[in-house]
Amino acid sequence: MISGLFYLLLFPGLLFQVICSLFFEWLDRKLLARFQRRVGPPWFQPLADLIKLFSKEDLLPEGANDLVATLLPLISLSAVLTAGLYIPIAGFTPFSFEGDLIVILFLMSVPTLAYYLAGVVSVGVYSILGGSRSLLQFFSYEVPLLIALSGPAIMSGSWSVEQIMISQGSMGPFILFQPVGFVLAVVGLIGKLKRDPLDIPKAKSEVVGGPLTEFTGAKMGLWHLVMNIQAVLGIFLLTNLYLGWTKTFNPLVAVVVFIIEFLVLVVILSGASAIYARLRIDQLAGLGWRILVPLSLLQIGFVILMGI
Amino acid sequence: MSILKAVINAFRKTPDTVKYPYGPLVIPKGFRGAIVIDTEKCSGCGLCVRDCPAAGLELIKESRQDYQLIHYPARCAYCGQCEDSCARGAISHSNDLVEPTYDSDEWVVVLKHQSGD
Amino acid sequence: MNKISIPIGPQHPLLKEPLTMNIDISGERVLGGTLRLGYVHRGIERLAQQKTYVQNVHLIERICGICSHVHTTTFCHAVETLLGIDVPIRAQYIRALMCELERVHSHLLWLGIIAKHVGLDTIFMHTWHDRELALDIMEEVSGGRVSHAANQIGGVRFDLSQEQEAMIRKTVNDLSDKANTLMDVIENEPVLQARTKGVAPLSAETIKNYCVVGPVARASGVDVDMRRDHPPPPYDRLTFNVITRQDGDAWARTVVRAEETRETLKLCHTILDEMPDGPVSVRAPRKVPEGEVVVRSEAPRGELLYYLRSDGSENPARLKVRTPTLPALNLIPKQLSAIHVADIPVVMAGVDLCIACADR
Ligand code: SF4
Ligand code: SF4
Repeated sequence: MISGLFYLLLFPGLLFQVICSLFFEWLDRKLLARFQRRVGPPWFQPLADLIKLFSKEDLLPEGANDLVATLLPLISLSAVLTAGLYIPIAGFTPFSFEGDLIVILFLMSVPTLAYYLAGVVSVGVYSILGGSRSLLQFFSYEVPLLIALSGPAIMSGSWSVEQIMISQGSMGPFILFQPVGFVLAVVGLIGKLKRDPLDIPKAKSEVVGGPLTEFTGAKMGLWHLVMNIQAVLGIFLLTNLYLGWTKTFNPLVAVVVFIIEFLVLVVILSGASAIYARLRIDQLAGLGWRILVPLSLLQIGFVILMGI
Repeated sequence: MSILKAVINAFRKTPDTVKYPYGPLVIPKGFRGAIVIDTEKCSGCGLCVRDCPAAGLELIKESRQDYQLIHYPARCAYCGQCEDSCARGAISHSNDLVEPTYDSDEWVVVLKHQSGD
Repeated sequence: MNKISIPIGPQHPLLKEPLTMNIDISGERVLGGTLRLGYVHRGIERLAQQKTYVQNVHLIERICGICSHVHTTTFCHAVETLLGIDVPIRAQYIRALMCELERVHSHLLWLGIIAKHVGLDTIFMHTWHDRELALDIMEEVSGGRVSHAANQIGGVRFDLSQEQEAMIRKTVNDLSDKANTLMDVIENEPVLQARTKGVAPLSAETIKNYCVVGPVARASGVDVDMRRDHPPPPYDRLTFNVITRQDGDAWARTVVRAEETRETLKLCHTILDEMPDGPVSVRAPRKVPEGEVVVRSEAPRGELLYYLRSDGSENPARLKVRTPTLPALNLIPKQLSAIHVADIPVVMAGVDLCIACADR
């Protein structure tokens, strides 16, 4: 009972994930600022932003469904926090079971759908436009992402993240065998997180704030939290699936290696948002279906051939 | 990928926006700051008042010896016309920054008060 | 999908100045749109009739926040033509130098904005920082970053010292390096090209029908540049290239402005080289003889036209300003069809709006 609460609230549950997400947001903003010749925020800025958002007035336009609008970020938050329980952190896997990868992927796509619904229930024109864009984007990146992520699973012959990590321990990190799959997974992750350069649903100059245009105060704060936790978990997941040879190491080394891998991925994500412009939604759909899906299928074919 | 190069260069240099508010404020020589007057030179002719485009100056003249030259810093456009128009070189811009104000109507500076004997 | 109408403006992250567009869309396609202007109308033309010529120089400077110097230069040129006074050559060169620096910073500002609109914030930050160099020069020589108050009727207010000239040369060199880097980045940026190539192309005929001027016209192959066609002094003594492109799409407009930035920086050097010594201003009478005059010059956004009628008093009888943005604004509703919603910012940025100029 006590250990259950510990897992749920402290590690790897709520507290750990919130701290990680705040750190991630700070690092990301700082790096982006430095890429853009700016100074960037101090380390406590994400926390200050969160506190500020939670203490602000909560408004919704007339005609919006307040109950649903409140539930959506909460549902997304619980979904990502639950997913976080199953993602191994530096080889620490309290709840691993066969097939947890599928559960994680399912839980991580809940926020996207909630994001779309948030656009629809908050009745602004920009929200609805952004909502429909987020669905379109979902269909463009989710398929190549899922196909790419099944690569490690096929290679190790198991749908459990822990099992995948164990087989990486003996075979070497999967990024060596599936570099294309790794790149596709990063692209998919950027699409999932709606970060620059795939921030099409919330492109400021086009649809103001996208689905969250009408959200304020605590709800907005929750959404920020959800997005950041999702980012952290996505990075953790990619680290485990492609660079997850840490399982066999001694725990201390594993933690250090894990942190380094995390930082490298953050740099990749921030760098991508610094150097690429935003695509148009039709260009993204074209990219997704004409280039990314065939590439991911090729990668899978390669993996299966290797297995034989 | 020359943008990558630009980004990496930017990352290696110190950021550009760090200078203020802690660095020293460099004000160029010709900066048009607060209006100052040399009361010795001013004769109350009113040339500056005539040419001021923003009604920033006012001359209240009772007689030749009895006048006030008033400046409204909140109306002033800091354009430098008064400095140009003054034939005696009495009025000019200093290099000092002008502070902001809440009540723009109340802000009145009497540049010169000459009272007749 | 059914039609919905989205309002853009008067307040929208896309706009830096207020205007309203009502855009009809169906899904991600734009069907058409209407435009409404007038939020920043300040009645400057009427106000100018109530002020003296000397005061008007400063009033005219407030028409625009980016190309303020070229407005006063053109106004002073108009008044000086009516007065029949010859402005010292050195003053003309200093005016031209300021105009060119203004063009540089206006174009860099624009490049930043288009980059920002397609989501390339890095370029936005970098260009806007580089633009500071041009502003620094202008602040150093004239005392103001935006309102330079450099012109007076009959000349300019300040002279350039030796050190200042050296400083300008050095900074312009610096700026050329940065501009080259920037152009390199923009030309090799695949996504930026994907977003702007082929977007809302305009034919030379449309451009002529709508009387559009400046970089937008030059991007469609209409070769107009007032500095060459009707040169106000001292441009008749300067040589420079006019950049044109044939495609007329958003990418061509980007390239034209980018190339023009480089060309303008070269022109700055030419101006500094050829600048003669001498006085910088002459005394001008306050009363302007009766008559009317039209002068034209090339602002960063295109041809700027001033019509001035005098009735012999201290105040102008009529002042008419035709800014380059207004005809370009007329083109926006025309461009707003058969594009994507995501192209709206590109189209809007493409014409380089200056609403304050257009509304006056
Ligand atoms: S600086 Fe210009 S606006 Fe201010 S008082 Fe002098 S003339 Fe008037
Ligand atoms: S400041 Fe100069 S122009 Fe103004 S009243 Fe005094 S002497 Fe005349």
